[in-house]
Amino acid sequence: MKRTKLKSGEIILSYTLKTVMIIFLIISIWKLHWEWIFGCFLAIIVSFVPTILKRNYQITLPLVLDILITFSLLLHVGGGLLGAYNIPNYDTLTHFISSFLVAFLAFVIIYILHVYWDGLIMDKYAMAFLVVITTIAIGVIWEFNEWITDLIFKTTEQWGYDDTIKDLFIDTIAGITMAIIGVSMIKRGSFDEMTDELGKQIDKRIIKSNREEKNE
Amino acid sequence: MSKIKKICNKQCLSFTLLLRIIMIISIIIALWRRDWVWVVGTFIGFFVSILPSLIKKDAKITLPWVLDFLIALVTILHMGGRLFDYYYTIENYYLVTRFFMSVLVAFIGLSMIYILDEHWDGLRMDKYAMGFVTVVFTMAVGVILEFVKYLNVTGTYYVKTNQVLMLNLSTDTIAGIIIAIIGVNLIKSGKFDEITDDFGNRIDEMVIERFERREKEN
Repeated sequence: MKRTKLKSGEIILSYTLKTVMIIFLIISIWKLHWEWIFGCFLAIIVSFVPTILKRNYQITLPLVLDILITFSLLLHVGGGLLGAYNIPNYDTLTHFISSFLVAFLAFVIIYILHVYWDGLIMDKYAMAFLVVITTIAIGVIWEFNEWITDLIFKTTEQWGYDDTIKDLFIDTIAGITMAIIGVSMIKRGSFDEMTDELGKQIDKRIIKSNREEKNE
Repeated sequence: MSKIKKICNKQCLSFTLLLRIIMIISIIIALWRRDWVWVVGTFIGFFVSILPSLIKKDAKITLPWVLDFLIALVTILHMGGRLFDYYYTIENYYLVTRFFMSVLVAFIGLSMIYILDEHWDGLRMDKYAMGFVTVVFTMAVGVILEFVKYLNVTGTYYVKTNQVLMLNLSTDTIAGIIIAIIGVNLIKSGKFDEITDDFGNRIDEMVIERFERREKEN
């Protein structure tokens, strides 16, 4: 009963965020901000990817992932459209949410592989460690992307040494936060509940394992 | 075949010994130049490089010779950079040092994963997954090292520019990828098992078995 209530709450939140995104699109059309009309349009498509995946391919992403994707896109679009990036530490918040999303994705993938793939069996704390280092490494790849973009296109994606270090620090904190949350969720059994459906679908389509055999 | 291996091991050990002698000379030069910070620095470096041998004596641990060699090499490169100002006089010297340090980190990472995979019930990993973890581990340790530099705990002067930071992180990534490729091939051929076998068994006896026993008791 409690779980159903929580799930419907998550669905309401997900659609509320998507509605706000559509409102942002209307605002950007009203203001004739072509850059953000394109940005909002793209963000709306991306935020509906989980729904499309479920409807057309029967792949059910965890609702939390759906919410995190929409929320991080919303923060970015809202920041640009409404000038929120001028608010102190707004950039830090958006970077944290994006890194947290990456960490969450990493945890989900590692956990599903642990449950279904014969090539990986991990203790929950080892999983947490792997999530932290993977999040940091993806943060580094993101910084490489910005650095190379600046070198080739002479842009200013990277603001400087201090800013890059700050970004990497936020990635680390986001990874650690997700690792702590993930371990406590695994202990309670809620992580298994959350990834069960997606895990089964991935197993059926890609891994093709025998879960019972592995658990024995 | 084993004869060749013995000769190779002997030569590598001699090379490691030679590197240590150079380190002692570095300490003497640091004393002569009255560079006290680097007398301490070189001494710590020397201690770190002979640490595997000390552990071997007390705990009967045989560290893989590659590890022994890499620790000595990295320490010497770093001390040379500080003591003879190679960091400033030789172009990209810092990248060479960084590369070998990252190779060392990657090798330690891969060895730990492999040993845990072999001896600990809490980890079973495919060799390609091990390669992946080695790369991300090396990259993450590189980032932690950059945090230490940023906080400047040691009070040492470092060039703090975005370009240097990105080059350092690129070097870590390349070193991690190289060791991952070599490591996976060594695992496939069974040679990695030979390198880490003795060390792994000791770690198993000293740490993993005790840890597992305690977990079962709880």
